[in-house]
Amino acid sequence: MVLPFDHECSGPALVLGRSRKADLPLADRFISRLHARFFLEGDDWFVEGLGSHNPTFLNGRPVKERARLASGDVLTLGETSISIECGPAEAAPSGIFRSAASLLAPEEVTREQEVPAGATLGRLAARLKLVNEVHRALSGPISIEALLDLILDRVFTHLRPEEGAIFLGPPGADLTRAASRRLPGVSGEFLYSRSLAREVTEKGLAALVEDASDDARFAAANSILASGARSIAAAPLLAAEGCLGMIVLTSRAEVRRFSEEDLELLVSLASAAALRIRNVALAEETARGRLLEKELALAHEIQMGMLPKEFPSRREFELHAAVRPARSVGGDLYEFFADEGRLWFVVADVSGKGLPAALHMAVTKTLFRAFVQTEPSLSAVLARMNRELCRENERAMFVTAFAGCLDLATGELEFGNAGHNVPYLLLRDGSPRRVTGGPGMALGVVEDFAYPAGRIRLEPGESLFLYTDGVTEALDPKGEQFSEERLQDCLRGLAGATAAQLVERTLAAVQAFAGAAPPFDDVTVMAVRYLSPA
Amino acid sequence: MEIREERAASGILVIAPVGRIDSNTSGELEEKLFAHLAAGETRLVIDMQQVEYISSAGLRVLLRLAQKLRERGRLVLCSLAHSVRQVFELAGFLVLFAIEPSRELAVARMASGG
Repeated sequence: MVLPFDHECSGPALVLGRSRKADLPLADRFISRLHARFFLEGDDWFVEGLGSHNPTFLNGRPVKERARLASGDVLTLGETSISIECGPAEAAPSGIFRSAASLLAPEEVTREQEVPAGATLGRLAARLKLVNEVHRALSGPISIEALLDLILDRVFTHLRPEEGAIFLGPPGADLTRAASRRLPGVSGEFLYSRSLAREVTEKGLAALVEDASDDARFAAANSILASGARSIAAAPLLAAEGCLGMIVLTSRAEVRRFSEEDLELLVSLASAAALRIRNVALAEETARGRLLEKELALAHEIQMGMLPKEFPSRREFELHAAVRPARSVGGDLYEFFADEGRLWFVVADVSGKGLPAALHMAVTKTLFRAFVQTEPSLSAVLARMNRELCRENERAMFVTAFAGCLDLATGELEFGNAGHNVPYLLLRDGSPRRVTGGPGMALGVVEDFAYPAGRIRLEPGESLFLYTDGVTEALDPKGEQFSEERLQDCLRGLAGATAAQLVERTLAAVQAFAGAAPPFDDVTVMAVRYLSPA
Repeated sequence: MEIREERAASGILVIAPVGRIDSNTSGELEEKLFAHLAAGETRLVIDMQQVEYISSAGLRVLLRLAQKLRERGRLVLCSLAHSVRQVFELAGFLVLFAIEPSRELAVARMASGG
C-alpha cells in the first residue's frame, strides 16, 4: 500500500512514472519508467498514456490516447490511485499528493493538510500534556530564573524552535532578555525587535510571522532582517496588571515553521507563565525589601547604641548633643571625653549610608576615644585617626570631623577641622562667629596628613556650636535648603541659652523647616558651653 | 540618573553626570565609571557642569575612582559649579584632584599628559 503524499508541481505538463526523471516519480513497480502524462490544453487538463505495457485507467476504464480530467475522477496506474480535484488556484489545497514524511513526523502537519484523525489527536494530546506539565511545575516554589528556564525547556521540547527568548520589562520601556536558549550550532545575534515588542507587549497581541523577509510589517525592521529570523512566533506575557514582557521563538532555516496551533499553545503557556512570574517577582521583592529593612534596623541600632546619651554635669562646662537620624543611617556621630583638666569632643560624618556607614562610625568613635587618652595634642589625635582610617580602605570611606580640646582652666580651645562644616562660636550676646582655622583634609584619604591645629579662647558663657551638613542641607517640601543663613539666624536668637537649649532649639528649627518628612541625612548638633575656669 | 558620555579627540572619554550626585544616585555613577575601567579605559574626564549638588557619597565615588586610576590612569575633573567646588574645598579634596575650569582645558590637559 502506498501512503498518501503530496507533491508540488508547476507548469503545463506533468510526466508520471517510476523514473526519477519523471516530474512526478511514483515508487510503484507496476508502473513504467515514463508511464503517463498530464497536460493542459486550453482550460482543461488531459491525461495520455506514454506507451506503457500497463494501461492507465480513468475511473476504471483504460485511457485510449487521451482523456479529459474532471474533479472527482480517479486515475489508476499500477497499484497507485490518484484522485483528481480541480478548482481555482488559490483555493486549491496544498496538495492532493501527501508526502510520507509528513505523516511520520506529526509536528510538521498543518491545518491545511488532510491527515488521518489518529495523528492529529496524538499531537493535540502531546500539547495538552505540555501545558499540564508546566502548570504543575509552576505551582511549586521556584525562582524567576528557574521558572524561565523551565518554560523555555518545555517550549523547546514541544515546539522545537531554533531559538527562544523571554524578554521582561514594563510596557513602553525597553525590554531585557531575561532568559534564552538556542539549538547547538545556532549562532549570531539574538533577535530583539522593538517593533515586534511594541505590537506584542503594548497591544497584547500574539504574532505569527511565516516569512519575515516577505512580511510587510517587518520590511523596515532591521533587527529582524539582521538576525536572519524567517519564522517568528511571539506571545505576550499578560498578567492582571498588564504586560510583563514577551516570549519569542524564531527559526532561520525554515519559513512557516510555526503553525496557528503552535501559536495558540505558546499564548496559553505565556499567560500561565506571566501569572507565575508576577507572583515570584513580588515574593522576591518582598523578601529583598524585608532584608533591606533588617539591615537598616541593625544599622540604626548600632548607631544609636554608640551615641552617648548621658552628658557630664560639671561646673566648668556644659555639653549637649543630639542626632536626628535619617531613615537610612547617615553615618553621623559625636563623642566626648572629659578628664580633670580637659574636655575632648568631636562631631563627625562618615561618608556613605547604611550598615557600612554604621560600622565605620563605630571604628571612628573607638579610635577617637583611644587616641585622646594617649596622644599629646589634638593634631596628633587627628593624624593618628587618619592613619588608621586610611588602612584597608578599599571602599574609600572617608570621615569629615571637627574635633576640639578645651582647656578647662583657661578656656583655650585647640581644634582641627578635617573637611567638616565650619562651627560657630556664640558670643555672650548670641552673635555667631565662624570658627575657621585648623583646616585639614577629611580623614581616611591621604595617609600621613598633618593636621594643623587652630586656637581660640572661650570666655565664660561663650559656646561652640557644631553640626553636620544634615542641618544646612535639610530640605523643605519645596526643595529649599535650610542653609547657613537660617542656622545663623537661629543661633542669633539664642543668646544666653544653655547647651541643651542650643541643641533642642536648633533641632526644632530644622524640624519645623523640613516638615513631617524624615531627614534625608542625619541631622546632628553639639553645643559646648564654657562656664567657668576649673 | 542621566550620565552622558562622549569621546573627545585622541580617544579620551568624557563623562558628564546630570543633576545630583548623592546617596541615591552615586551607586549608578560608580557602576558606570567602574565598568569603563574594567573595559580598559585609563583616561577619564568627568565634566561636572550639569552637577548641581554633590554629597559625601558622591565624593567617595570620585575618590575611589581617583585611587583606582592612580597606578594606571588619569582623571581630570572640570566645570565645577561654585557650590560643588566649595564641597570639595571644605573636605580638603581640591588638592586630590586635577581640576580644570572647562572641558576643552580638561581634555587638553589629559592629552598633553600634563
